[in-house]
Amino acid sequence: MFHNSSQRKYWIFRSEDELENMRRSANQKFRNKILDSGKSAVSESMFLERHEEDVLFKHYERRLLDFCNAFKPVMPKSVVGTAMMYFRRFYLSNSIMEYHPRIIMLTCAYLSCKVDEFNVSCTQFVGNLLQETPAGQERVLEQILEFELLLIQQLNFHLVVHNPYRPMEGLLIDLKTRYPMLESPESLRRSADDFLTQASMTDAGLLFPPSQIALTAIVNSASRAGLHMESYLTECLGLKEDISKMYDSMRRMKTLLKKYELPKLEEVNSYKPKLERIHAEFGTASNKRKRGYEDDGHVAKEPRLVEEEWTDEDLV
Amino acid sequence: MPAGYQDLDPVLDMEQYSILGRIGEGAHGIVFKAKHIETGETVALKKVALRHLEDGIPNQALREIKALQEIEDNQHVVKLKDVFPHGTGFVLVFDFMLNDLSEVIRNAQRPLTPAQVKGYMRMLLKGVTFLHHNNIMHRDLKPANLLISSSGHLKIADFGLARLFSEQGERLYSHQVATRWYRAPELLYGARRYDEGVDLWAVGCIFAELLNSSPLFPGENDIEQLCCVLRVLGTPTQESWPEMVDLPDYNKITFKENPAIPLEEIVPDTPPQAIDLLYNFLVYPSKQRCSASQALLHPYFFSSPLPAHHSELPIPQRGGRPPRQRLQAPPTDFSVDLPLQNSVVDPVMLQGHASCL
Repeated sequence: MFHNSSQRKYWIFRSEDELENMRRSANQKFRNKILDSGKSAVSESMFLERHEEDVLFKHYERRLLDFCNAFKPVMPKSVVGTAMMYFRRFYLSNSIMEYHPRIIMLTCAYLSCKVDEFNVSCTQFVGNLLQETPAGQERVLEQILEFELLLIQQLNFHLVVHNPYRPMEGLLIDLKTRYPMLESPESLRRSADDFLTQASMTDAGLLFPPSQIALTAIVNSASRAGLHMESYLTECLGLKEDISKMYDSMRRMKTLLKKYELPKLEEVNSYKPKLERIHAEFGTASNKRKRGYEDDGHVAKEPRLVEEEWTDEDLV
Repeated sequence: MPAGYQDLDPVLDMEQYSILGRIGEGAHGIVFKAKHIETGETVALKKVALRHLEDGIPNQALREIKALQEIEDNQHVVKLKDVFPHGTGFVLVFDFMLNDLSEVIRNAQRPLTPAQVKGYMRMLLKGVTFLHHNNIMHRDLKPANLLISSSGHLKIADFGLARLFSEQGERLYSHQVATRWYRAPELLYGARRYDEGVDLWAVGCIFAELLNSSPLFPGENDIEQLCCVLRVLGTPTQESWPEMVDLPDYNKITFKENPAIPLEEIVPDTPPQAIDLLYNFLVYPSKQRCSASQALLHPYFFSSPLPAHHSELPIPQRGGRPPRQRLQAPPTDFSVDLPLQNSVVDPVMLQGHASCL
C-alpha cells in the first residue's frame, strides 16, 4: 500500500527547488572530488554545468524509455515506470559525470524487471541490445551486474515503486460505476495514458503520490475532450476544503509537463564529448563492483573486506 | 541526498555488530548470530554474497527486502531491522530468534497441549491476516519458517518466495513455490494463476501437524504428494473442485478413485471445533478456504481451553523454564539454581600453578 510505503516516507519531496538543490550538490560533490584529488590540469570548464547535465539526463532517459518500449517480450507498464523512477532517484544524489547514464539506465531496467517479477533471463535481457554483437552484449551484461549493487544501494534498498497505472485503472472503474454523468470513461484512456508517459519524464513522481498523478491524467484528458468532472471530485471523491489544494497540485503537474522540452540534438551532441572525456579521464575502469564504496576511502585501507568471500573464518 | 538517506559508511555498518556465531545457511547466504554493540541486542545477520552469481542479485533477496520493507511492524512477522552493503554483497539484519516451530514440534517432550496448539494457531493466523491485508502472499509457510522468539512469540519469517499480489490477474506466477508437504493441490497440478489460498492450505497443514506432532502430507516426491492429499481428502470431482479441469497438469495424471477419510480419523483425539476449523482450510477450491481473519473468529479460539499465553509456550532449547528468566546471553557456568560445588574451582586443578596449595 502506498500509505506506508518507502516511496511516501522517503521519496516524495516538497518542491522542485529541493530537487534542484540536491542535483546541484551532486554536481558540486563530483567537482570537489576531482579538484581535491590534486590531479594537475583540471579546470572548472571541463565539468558539465547543471543545465548541460539536464540535457544529457533527458537524452538518456528517453533512450531508456525507447529501450523499454521496444523490449521483447513486451514489458509491462509498471516495469517501465519503475525503471524510469529508479533512474530519476539515482541521479538525485549522483552526477552523470560520476556514473555514466548509459550503463545506469540499463541497470535500472534490469533491476526493475527482477523487482517487478517480469522474469527474463539475463541473456534474454541483453539480447534486446540489437546493435550489439553477442560479445558486446556479454560485456554490457558484465557491466550491468557490476553496477547492480551500487544502484540498489543508492536507492537505499527501497525497491518497491508505486506507479500511477493501477490507480488510473481504479479511477476508470470508479467512474464507470459511480459517475454515470460521464458517458464513456474508456474514451479518456488514450490521452490519460499519454499524460502518464509524459509525467514519467518529469519530476512529478518525486513530488506527488501516484493516485494524484492518475487523477490529474484523467481530469486533464476529460477537459481536453470538453468534459467537466468537478462534481466527481466533490461528490464521489468527497474533496471539500482540500479541493483547492488538489487543483493546485494539478496545476503544478501540468506546468511540469508543459515545461518539458525534448533534448535538442545539437545540444546533446555538443555536451556528449564533454561527458565522454570526463569518464575517460576520471572514470575508474576496473573492478566496478567496488564502486559502491569508492567514496568512503575504506576500500583502499581495508581491501580485505571487498576481496574476500564471506566466510566464518573472517568473522568468528 | 534523499530524505532519510543514512550516510553511514558501509564498513562502519558492519562494525556496529560483533559476530557471535553461525546459525545456518540459507538459500542465498550464511546466517550469523551477532550482537549490536551499542544496544546489546542480539540479531541475525543474513549475508547475501554476489560473487559468482550469473543473474546478479538473487530474486529471493530482492523479494525479502521488498516484502519486509513496505510493511509496518507486526508482532507476528519478523522485522527487517536494517539492510546495508558489505563487501561484495549486502547484509539483512533481523531480530534474532531462538527457535522455530518445527523444532518445537520435534522436541516437545510430550505432545503440545490443546491450549498451546491454539496459542500457536492464533499467532500464525494473526501474522497471515496481516500479510494478506498488505497484499503479500508468503508462498512458503511451513513450521521451519515460523520462528519462536525468546518470549514465546511466533513470527513468520523467510520471505524469499513472498510476492506482492494484485487483483489484476493477467500476470502469471510460478508454481514451483512452497515446500512440498505444504504445497496446495492447485500448485501440485501446475497452476500459474493462484491466490493467497495457497498460504491458507499451508496453514491447514501446519495446524494438523501441531495437533498430531507429525506432518500431515509427507510426500516423497510431487506425484506422491498428490497421492497423500487425495488419499485423505478423496479424489476430487467436478462438484468438489470445478476449477480442476482447467489446471495445466490435470490431464497428465489420473488417480484411482477413492473416498475421503474423515479428518477425525486422521487427527484422532481432537475436539470437534478443531476438526471443523481444519476442514475450513483443507478444501480443494482455493476460494472456499477460510480467510485468516475469518478463522480468527472461529469458535475454536473462544472455547475452553483458551489459547495459551505466549509465556506458557515451550522453548525447547532452554529446558522449560518460564521465558521471563531466559536471558539471551549464553548460559554461564554459574547459576543460582546449581549446587554450589559445581561452580567452585577444585583446588586440585590449581595445584600446579599456585605454590601455596
